[in-house]
Amino acid sequence: MSDSRVIESAVGGPGLTPAGVIETQALTKRYPRGVTALDGLTTVFSPGITGLIGANGAGKSTLIKILLGLVSPTSGRASVLGRDTAVGAERIRTLTGYMPEHDCLPPDVTGTEFVAHMGRMSGLPATAARERAAESLRHVGLHEERYRLIGTYSTGMKQRVKLAQTLVGDPRLLLLDEPTTGLDPGGRAAMLDLIARIGGEFGISIVVSSHLLGEVERICDHVVALERGGLLRADTMTSFTRVSQVLAVEVEEGRQELEAALTRRGLASRPDERALLVRLEGDATYDVIRDVIADLGLPLNRLEQRRRRVEELFRDDQAPRDDQAPGGAA
Amino acid sequence: MSGEIAMSGDVAGPGGVIHDLGYQHYDGPRLGRAAIIRALCWHSLRSAFGIGRGAKAKIVPILTFAIMCLPAVVNAVAAARGGGRVVPYDTYVFQLRGLVMVIFVAAQAPELVSRDLRSHVLPLYLCRPLRRLDYPLAKFAALTAACLALIEIPLLLLYLGTIVSASGGGAVWSETRALIPGLLIGALWAVLFAAIGLVLASLTGRRAYATGAIAIYFFLSWSLASILIGVTGGRAGPVASPLAARLAGLVSPVTVLEGVRQWLGGTSPSQVPRPGSAGILYGVMFLVLLGASLGGLAARYRKAGVS
Repeated sequence: MSDSRVIESAVGGPGLTPAGVIETQALTKRYPRGVTALDGLTTVFSPGITGLIGANGAGKSTLIKILLGLVSPTSGRASVLGRDTAVGAERIRTLTGYMPEHDCLPPDVTGTEFVAHMGRMSGLPATAARERAAESLRHVGLHEERYRLIGTYSTGMKQRVKLAQTLVGDPRLLLLDEPTTGLDPGGRAAMLDLIARIGGEFGISIVVSSHLLGEVERICDHVVALERGGLLRADTMTSFTRVSQVLAVEVEEGRQELEAALTRRGLASRPDERALLVRLEGDATYDVIRDVIADLGLPLNRLEQRRRRVEELFRDDQAPRDDQAPGGAA
Repeated sequence: MSGEIAMSGDVAGPGGVIHDLGYQHYDGPRLGRAAIIRALCWHSLRSAFGIGRGAKAKIVPILTFAIMCLPAVVNAVAAARGGGRVVPYDTYVFQLRGLVMVIFVAAQAPELVSRDLRSHVLPLYLCRPLRRLDYPLAKFAALTAACLALIEIPLLLLYLGTIVSASGGGAVWSETRALIPGLLIGALWAVLFAAIGLVLASLTGRRAYATGAIAIYFFLSWSLASILIGVTGGRAGPVASPLAARLAGLVSPVTVLEGVRQWLGGTSPSQVPRPGSAGILYGVMFLVLLGASLGGLAARYRKAGVS
């Protein structure tokens, strides 16, 4: 029995629909006051981890509500795990775990009690709910702490409890709304690793909504980008990252000298605010920049892969695509 | 079961030691929506009595229950000394019951709904197989059951304490016949108190405000009804009261319940004038209060958002 379970989880578990985990067709939602939250969105979310990115108001939360069957679309249709949201919402909610962005935990119960209760609310019998609550909390890295009141938890631990309550009902799909909100860099990294593990090892498809492209980039296989209720772009992660390799070099003084020296070494650069942007071709690019700066004896302030925020994806002139990256332009 | 294997870490199997098995899918039974509602109702009923909460959460439920049982205990002692039953079933001890119920509902209705609003836990219910109105339905059923326990258990104690000292089957039968209308009136109390308490508590996530709102509503309207009954000559005596006095009880849920009791044929003496021909208005008012409260509760949760 245990052998078959090991194999099952290794191959990703049963129940994954082969094509799209989520499909939307001309999905439109207009609210009474004339606000259009979604405007003819047609897209497919593949199995695996998908980043759902967009600025605030792009339609991410409306999309999640429609997928959970909590809001009806004005027109168009959506299906989750092969079930139409208009008729199969209860089944969809049984098979889907949802982690809201904001605080949603009562402070005066223990982690284990809370997650077990949420397991019961997912339809598990009492004993199974208790067992799976303990297991889910262990998977997210809460051990002895689970017997403490949630009110005593750190932000990171609370985020883990929020994640554990999505796992307790053994979902096929997780919808995580900004799961790293409020976490420090270390907590962010740990949370992202955890999500990557759930998506990989546990074989659960995941949609992570975020406004930080950098996060999505680290763990996602696919990206769906929304803008003003419509689809901006849907693609695999690799096609996004390939075109977004840009280094920012910032020196205290002598930027022109540096630019000229880099050009002589075959590296085109483009000024951006106080920094120079250089296309990152590989580790060699770092070496060249290091050598050039050392030769010129310039005081280096900053050398890093440029932090891209999702807004850049939404500004055509800023998007670091091939034709606009400094190397391509020169 | 499978969970135990994973929790215990390393397990000796036939092929050696299996280390952490990793994530395991659940292949056991999944309960339907009705069973989930029942589970939520049971969970809420327990928390209405502070079970599964800290010691502080148990103070009000235990105290109110103990106070509510006192008349039944006193009656049992009196009955044992040959005094017969001294407390009527249909009114119990009207003032005491009203006071205890207001305190219980003011303290415990917020426990059921306000704390969930405060901690924004509602989205986690809505994203599960439950439908929007299942949550308030379960909460209403739970608080009604809690109020029923608080009202009917003392009545049953009263009954037991009386029949233990009763002589003969005829006496027991007449006690039983007196008890049944009392239980029915008690059920009307439970339903109305639960509905009003929940709709007021669902307006705010601040527990103290919710408790205050409920207590103020019940006590203020009750005082108002008493004053109106007084100034309209409702306390004149056994003679038929003027119409104004017979209508004065309509302003408060507690006196509405007394009016309904008398309209339905309850004969125990009351502080609310017999409504007489206005009796049906008390029945209508009961339904209006109940309907408005449940409608308000449904409206409150129909528009509750997921995030």
